[in-house]
Amino acid sequence: MWRFLRRLLTSEYLVLLLTALYVLCLWPFAPEIVSAQTALEVIMAMLPLLLLAIGQTFVLIVAGIDLSITSTMAFSSVVAAALMTGDGGYLAGNALAVPVALIAFLLIGLAVGCANGLCVVRLGMPSFMVTLVAQTFLSGAAIWFTSLHSTSVSIGDLPAAFSVIGRGGIAGIPYALLLCLVVAFAAHWLLGRTTLGRWLYAVGNNPRAATVSGVPTGRVIIIAFVLSGFCAALASIVYTSRLETGTPVLGQRVLLDVIGAAVIGGVSLFGGRGKISWVILGVLFLSVVDKGLQLLGLSQSIVFAVKGGVILLAAIIDALRSRILVRVAA
Amino acid sequence: MNVTRRAFNLGAILAAGTVILPGAVRAADEKTIAIMFDSLQSPFWVTGFDVLKEKAKAAGYQPLESISNLDDNKQFEQVQSMIQKKVSGIIIVQTDSKAVIPAIREANKAGIPMVHFNRPPAESDAKSSAVQADNRAIMKSTVQALVDKARKAGGKYKAAILIGDLGDQNAIQRRDGFFDVVDQNKDIIEVVARISTEWNPDKAFADLTNALQANPDINFLVTSSDFLLPQIQQALKIAGKWKKTGEEGHVLFAGFDGDEGQYAALKDGYMDVGGVQNLFYEADLAIGAIEKMNKGEEVPKLLLDPGFVITQETLDQDRDKMWGYAVWKKANG
Amino acid sequence: MSSARDSAASERAGGAPLLKVEGLRKSFFGVEVLKGVSFTLEAGKALGVIGENGSGKSTTMNIINGLLPPSAGTMAIDGRPYAPANSKEAARAGIAFIHQELNLFENLSIAENLALQAFPRRISWLPQIDKARMRARAADLLRRVDLDLSPDMLVNRLAPGERQLVEIAKALSGDARIIVFDEPTTSLTSREAERLFALVAQLKARGLGVIYISHILEDVLRLCDDVVTLRDGTMVDNRPAASVTTGHLIESMLGRPIAELFPPRSAAAPRQEVALDVRGLTQPGIVHDLTFRVMRGEIVGIAGLMGSGRSETARILFGLDPALSGTVAVNGTVIAQRSPRACMAAGMAFLTEDRRGDGLLLPEGVLTNVELARLADLRTNAAAPLPQAMLDRDASEAARSVRIKAHDLVRQPVLSLSGGNQQKVVLAKWLLREPAVFILDEPTRGIDVGAKAEIYGLVRQLAERGTGVLVISSEVEELLGVCDRVLTMAHGEIVAEFTWPELDRAAILRAAMQRQEGAA
Repeated sequence: MWRFLRRLLTSEYLVLLLTALYVLCLWPFAPEIVSAQTALEVIMAMLPLLLLAIGQTFVLIVAGIDLSITSTMAFSSVVAAALMTGDGGYLAGNALAVPVALIAFLLIGLAVGCANGLCVVRLGMPSFMVTLVAQTFLSGAAIWFTSLHSTSVSIGDLPAAFSVIGRGGIAGIPYALLLCLVVAFAAHWLLGRTTLGRWLYAVGNNPRAATVSGVPTGRVIIIAFVLSGFCAALASIVYTSRLETGTPVLGQRVLLDVIGAAVIGGVSLFGGRGKISWVILGVLFLSVVDKGLQLLGLSQSIVFAVKGGVILLAAIIDALRSRILVRVAA
Repeated sequence: MNVTRRAFNLGAILAAGTVILPGAVRAADEKTIAIMFDSLQSPFWVTGFDVLKEKAKAAGYQPLESISNLDDNKQFEQVQSMIQKKVSGIIIVQTDSKAVIPAIREANKAGIPMVHFNRPPAESDAKSSAVQADNRAIMKSTVQALVDKARKAGGKYKAAILIGDLGDQNAIQRRDGFFDVVDQNKDIIEVVARISTEWNPDKAFADLTNALQANPDINFLVTSSDFLLPQIQQALKIAGKWKKTGEEGHVLFAGFDGDEGQYAALKDGYMDVGGVQNLFYEADLAIGAIEKMNKGEEVPKLLLDPGFVITQETLDQDRDKMWGYAVWKKANG
Repeated sequence: MSSARDSAASERAGGAPLLKVEGLRKSFFGVEVLKGVSFTLEAGKALGVIGENGSGKSTTMNIINGLLPPSAGTMAIDGRPYAPANSKEAARAGIAFIHQELNLFENLSIAENLALQAFPRRISWLPQIDKARMRARAADLLRRVDLDLSPDMLVNRLAPGERQLVEIAKALSGDARIIVFDEPTTSLTSREAERLFALVAQLKARGLGVIYISHILEDVLRLCDDVVTLRDGTMVDNRPAASVTTGHLIESMLGRPIAELFPPRSAAAPRQEVALDVRGLTQPGIVHDLTFRVMRGEIVGIAGLMGSGRSETARILFGLDPALSGTVAVNGTVIAQRSPRACMAAGMAFLTEDRRGDGLLLPEGVLTNVELARLADLRTNAAAPLPQAMLDRDASEAARSVRIKAHDLVRQPVLSLSGGNQQKVVLAKWLLREPAVFILDEPTRGIDVGAKAEIYGLVRQLAERGTGVLVISSEVEELLGVCDRVLTMAHGEIVAEFTWPELDRAAILRAAMQRQEGAA
């Protein structure tokens, strides 16, 4: 019995089991949780979170952390919205408005990632500090920028061609899902099958050994942050088009969910360990927990307590798992 | 490795089972109303939340609550969940008047009525109704009541008004209501200070203190919101003007909102008149609008709460309609 | 101090040995790793324990320290049964361990480290530390280990040898009667080691029992009265040190005679092509005007004391540290902007002194580690797919050629390999690239004798294939055995050069020390 438990705890798919268990437990109380509609909504809710978590995984693998992703989203959201809004946007009514706005999203994401990476590598600052500063700065910049373009707190009236990204799809498959699948596969391939992937893990495991072995350590770290910024920009596109509004508080509260999902999935905060498949399971778990609590429609205090408890449980199991792994290895 | 795979298979079977098996157990067929707030940051919203829940229960609905923590995207997902629960209606307080529009569209698509509680959405083609206090009307009758008292007492008055953030429609309407009345009574009232608080208590305190120093004879004061009461009390105390009605140096004083501070100030005699949002009536309006929409009746885009004016004299008889009294009662046993 | 002497006296009167271990056995998951180990340790004596990695030394010591319960067998201290349930009980019974990795808190002072188990309190029931008493006690303990330092000094300012002495002082503070040293000299300079040996002699004289575990057999023979040899969990030898030689010990450890620890030198003279050409390399305060050559097929050693600049030279050559002036050329081409990548591209390889810190990705498997340096050679876009099959094939081949012992080249983390096998992983990583110049810094530190011989053999083979090899070592014997030429460094300069067969241990050491002392 103990042996079985131990095997179970060390399984890579433990998180998936927990998800299923959670759904089973909730089923009698919220039967809607087992339905195609719920599945679809969980997937839709997962997507931007997954994009963020994938970006974060690159940074976590090189033993860094990117706290600036939420503000990157917010800032790119309002800048791009100001470009294309029908309500006095720079390119209002122009046919190029949407493509230019999309490029703006991505450029901002890449630029923020690059700035973060350069500060970490060139100035030798801890990534925690660098990205925390970037978070605060960009968050303020987003609010200030919005105030220049709108009398209210957000920028709405975005073109239909843009909002279709968040809602439309091809043959019933939402664009957002397609985008996410492409990113997830690309990330999986990059980590597992390319030189860059090997370098990312090596730098996270032991930057000194990596340098001695000819890995361009600094460049690899910068690339990790750039990828994170890029993923944040993609997530911002999905969120902004879904809300049809550019808002400077976009996704302000998802940071803990993103890092939590990655860690629940098994990505190490100390670097060198993590897989995209784990991250997907981690995000799935958190999204299902969230959805279940929404469906229960419980009073808010209970929701917080339950969510906290579930995450705590996952964290405890995770800790237990690493301890067992250490013992098995010894 | 073997066992890992076995664990995986087990998990896959469990997961598949949960999806394939039909929803055998369905909850009892209950009528529900979703009450979706973005936060519970002040007594006004806490009380509103409670009142809505009680009124919904009284009308035979099971209230389902959700709070988005000021996250528009989360609220959108919560709305989706509520739609999926097939609620009879949604009463929502959104953070962003524009970002809520996709959520209204979703509700429209599902044919579920949506009512905005005290925060109307931005202009759009999406259909919903909003319940809101008629700020200008309430402020007008409040100031009128205060002017009546001034006329009765006789004499000339120097007036000050604390204005809110002019980015906020509520603040503008309240200011306009004030001037609607004061401009009619220029013979006895001269406005010497318009204090722009930007809804910032510290600024309100500093600017009111300055105004009282510049014009020590201010004896007519109106605030656009009760939440500034502690700062007003402090500033008046410094100027030696925090006096009860009838005492030497009393300032004719009107509040707005109807919170527990207003109740206490009226009860203790420092405030003369208060404009009150009738939260209970607003809750009835909201639930009534949902029922009407479900019956297929047309409901206007904006439902106004005329509110009411309360004075020291009417306090005892009207206080049960005052939401701040409920809060006060809870706090003071 | 007096208590140790008293108890030693009383125990002698009783006639029972200080520590008696009989028939210890231990199995993990049905696999017997310890198959009956017995020995006795008398008070005032030192017992050497030797054996290759995995021979059962650590398991035996963990049992004595209470970390593992034995499957069978008994232990007794002073004739009384001793069966510790944990290391705390072991400490209470008077056994202290001086570990390879020291257990000191670097951010605390010496006095605080020494008092850590039980801070003296000013008032017994108040948690207020009596600093004066703590300092006085620390000063007393430091005197007992002949360490002339202030008790208030922070541990992170101490040299490795000084830390070791503090660790011993800590053991003495607990009134230890048996002190176990596990590879104590690994991180010590030779002078620090001498100081340690003197202290061990003192401890013996005071009536304490010493268990000394080391790969350096000369030290074991010099310090110990008896030597226990373990092989594959079995005690194969237990005899007085006076009756054996290092040759005997190596034979009994390996279970076979080794013809030579060092491979024979190649008969052919080194080729006349220059592999590595260093001219005027200078970095103020570190190295000064280094000029030397390594021919293809030649093994050149660098001797020198710690701080002589020998390891720093290697790091500068490989572009890890900067140099103010000077040039480095490989096969006649000067490396313009020295960085690890540029040096690797020119054909250099560098096995660092700190295997775990600079050499390995510890949680990864053997193949991943071996392939790492190869990735820089793939002259493709970093985001292009890896030729995985080819990489794995070559890496497995390299791993086989250096005879790495691992259950699973892919999944087993190198963390769990023995020191010798870990070093072979680093070697394989560089051999895969067929370097033109191979710099090895302390290639055999902390490695058992068998693996050492293998590594020497590999280095020699490499040279025979035409690589220029530079070996940096603090073990003069190693340089004498392997090198064709030895440069001696002191104070950042090359002060002497010796060519085989005129390699002379005494002359090398004299050259290394002379300048140092002259300058000091």
